[in-house]
Amino acid sequence: MISAVIDRLASVETVSMAKDAGDYVVAERVRKIFNPGGRHEVEAVAPTSFTVKSGEFVSLLGPSGCGKSTLLMMVAGLDRPSEGTVAVAGRPMIAPRAENGIMFQDPTLLPWKSALENVLFPYRAMNKPVAPHIDRAKALLDEVGLAGFHNHKPRQLSGGMRQRVAICRALVFEPDLLLMDEPFSALDAITRDEMNLALMKIWEEHHRTALFVTHSIREAVYLSDRVLVMSQRPGRVIADVKIPFARPRGLEIEESAAFNEICGYLRSKIQHRPV
Amino acid sequence: MTSPSSSLPRPGGGVGVIADGGGAPVALLEAGESRRVAPPPSRITAPPPPGRGREANAIVDRLRAAILPTAFALALLLAWQALVVIFQYPKVVLPAPSDIWHALVANFGTICQQAVPTTRDTLAGFLLATVLGVGIASLLCFSRLLRDMVYPLVILLQLVPKIAWTPLFIVWAGIGSPARLTIATFIAFFPIFISMMAGLEATDSSLVRLSRSLTATTWRTFWLVRLPASMPYLFSGLKIGVTLAVIGVIVAEFISSSEGLGYLILKSSALLQTDLILAAIVALCLLGVGFYGIVHAGERAIQRWQGE
Ligand SMILES: Nc1ncnc2c1ncn2[C@@H]1O[C@H](COP(=O)(O)OP(=O)(O)O)[C@@H](O)[C@H]1O
Ligand SMILES: [Mg+2]
Repeated sequence: MISAVIDRLASVETVSMAKDAGDYVVAERVRKIFNPGGRHEVEAVAPTSFTVKSGEFVSLLGPSGCGKSTLLMMVAGLDRPSEGTVAVAGRPMIAPRAENGIMFQDPTLLPWKSALENVLFPYRAMNKPVAPHIDRAKALLDEVGLAGFHNHKPRQLSGGMRQRVAICRALVFEPDLLLMDEPFSALDAITRDEMNLALMKIWEEHHRTALFVTHSIREAVYLSDRVLVMSQRPGRVIADVKIPFARPRGLEIEESAAFNEICGYLRSKIQHRPV
Repeated sequence: MTSPSSSLPRPGGGVGVIADGGGAPVALLEAGESRRVAPPPSRITAPPPPGRGREANAIVDRLRAAILPTAFALALLLAWQALVVIFQYPKVVLPAPSDIWHALVANFGTICQQAVPTTRDTLAGFLLATVLGVGIASLLCFSRLLRDMVYPLVILLQLVPKIAWTPLFIVWAGIGSPARLTIATFIAFFPIFISMMAGLEATDSSLVRLSRSLTATTWRTFWLVRLPASMPYLFSGLKIGVTLAVIGVIVAEFISSSEGLGYLILKSSALLQTDLILAAIVALCLLGVGFYGIVHAGERAIQRWQGE
């Protein structure tokens, strides 16, 4: 207890340095303003700071349009902050980094390529030989239940199956950081539960650091070690909540009183736009 | 401290209240979320009509698609033949289909001989237009500055009727094959360039972003994502381009040439050999179908290669 307090005090003092050896993602007072000075100037993310420890599964939870995607894109190095810095594994993110696995809301598959070829796409993008990784790609597809679908084109797969292909593609090159932007929000509730289970299983096996964006409270609580609640736009992190459930987690934890209690608490933290 | 941190409400006193108060809204919220459901991409097929198998149906459909236009064409030819026989039109004004057939057979050697330069110039012009169209569109895709500089001008130039330039090209390039090839290239270039440009610009931006997130170079992203994604656009442009290339070559042959099917048509008209004109046009039709077939085959080949 006391050591935790000291820990926190220490981190306050050394705010501009790497705070903790275990901190994998460090965002410091990042801010994003789109079209600065222009007629359509939008402050998407207000100066905000957070960290993700190595091996931790952290969710960014917040209402639609609060700047979650913007924040994630800055962590991915796909967008530059207007102010502040993001560092991953001790290096400032000024460009995409090869060790990040990314999933978007849409599966984003090449429509003309088979499921297997889509999983192998990262190697092609990085201009690396594909042949040594075919077995691993096939094993991943089998692992997420796509054993008979290696050579199917995306249009021959259901929405859930396509998103599974996208999971495999994000994992195939063994990234150390998984960044996911509402990957299941376009799926129906039943498929979404299945996908959460599949993601949980695969994450527990491969155990990467993960930053997961969602606007679903239950999804965030089910998947995460820690949930960061974001405010209305301009978004900033307003609450940092530890989720205490042991792993591996089954879907049945969603029925527990503690689960609902945490959900209720998070809901009280989320600011809804006044109607 | 990096972020405002708060601990959970301690389990105990509040549990019952929070759980009761929280349970229902959670259900409501989740129901609201799950309403944003994408419909499964299953296609609803109409049940086959009673008494007939689906396969038999498909065969009937295909036969129908082949037989109907053929039968209509035959009927038109017959009507044409009957018209000429009944009203005894002179062959110079309106030769019957049978006359055209005879002319085709009698002048087969000449027609084939004249088809060679026409085919050669068309294909060469079309090929050059493809290389230029795809090349320049790709180049503009790499430089925003170049694109904003060049693209509007090309669109403006495209509004001028290209055929009007033909005499100028003949002045510049002489009356030989190079002039005809240049004209074919010039005419075919625009649809090819513009459709390639449209394809490159219509590429799904999230695919491009994905590629970028995987640290792909601009060139790699172009090769793996933009180029394949623009193929359907390109081929629709190529199909227009190849027909325009034929037009360009024929017009150039009209204006000034001593060979080619256009030359044959012009010469036959001077000699009032109307049946030979029509025979040459039949040959042009066949050439056109052949060119279209080549483009179509190219499209299929690319699709197959892309898939693997
Ligand atoms: N490229 C952009 N240009 C201008 N405004 C943007 C851009 N991207 C996002 N925004 C704005 O920033 C805000 C946050 O967007 P986003 O990060 O996508 O929210 P979320 O993912 O939480 O739904 C929104 O108001 C959105 O309109
Ligand atoms: Mg978003």
